[in-house]
Amino acid sequence: MLLFQSEEWIDKWCKRNNLERGEILTIDQVWELSKLWYHNRLSVDFHGRSTEQVAEVFRQAGLKSKFWYL
Amino acid sequence: MKDDTILWQVRHFVYAHFADTTHPPSVEETASHFNISAEEAGELYKELHNRHSFFLEPETLTMRMANPFSGIPTDFKVHANGKTYFANCAWDMLGIPAALHCDAVIDAVCTESNESIQLEVKDGKVTNSELLVHFPLPFSRWYDDLVFT
Repeated sequence: MLLFQSEEWIDKWCKRNNLERGEILTIDQVWELSKLWYHNRLSVDFHGRSTEQVAEVFRQAGLKSKFWYL
Repeated sequence: MKDDTILWQVRHFVYAHFADTTHPPSVEETASHFNISAEEAGELYKELHNRHSFFLEPETLTMRMANPFSGIPTDFKVHANGKTYFANCAWDMLGIPAALHCDAVIDAVCTESNESIQLEVKDGKVTNSELLVHFPLPFSRWYDDLVFT
């Protein structure tokens, strides 16, 4: 997951690397996703996530497009 | 793997070590901490790698990623709690303050323009809201090539 200053830079990067555009999130969206995804990562009780748990994190983060389907 | 208790204790030790020191423990350090052989620690590392708890360099016991932490220098430097961590990617640079539950100053680079960017996580909010993160692959393909992802 790479950082860009604008969509223009993303398009240039995709063209230069001959890649399709993936999904673009704002930094605020990624921060919300980070909190949901990583808040308990240092806990001894964190043993990973099931598919259903991953889907729930994406749902809570408002990521509902096909890109996030499991 | 018969004893999952020690498996998850090792996972926790690795993450605590990363948080405390900014780098991963070697197999020998982990073996010493748990009073087990390096071979046993290595097997536990491989099992945790297979379970996607962290990721080893191919054919080695060297830790490349324990997301959000990176075992190698990257373009995503996270200054938090008086330490400097490396994150694996633009998501993980925010994952570090999320995991540590702290503020952070982040030095990063725009992938295409190569311009340096500094952003901050402060009081639960992130600055530079004009910045964008590109996810090149759908979730279903993230583990095909984790370094590219």
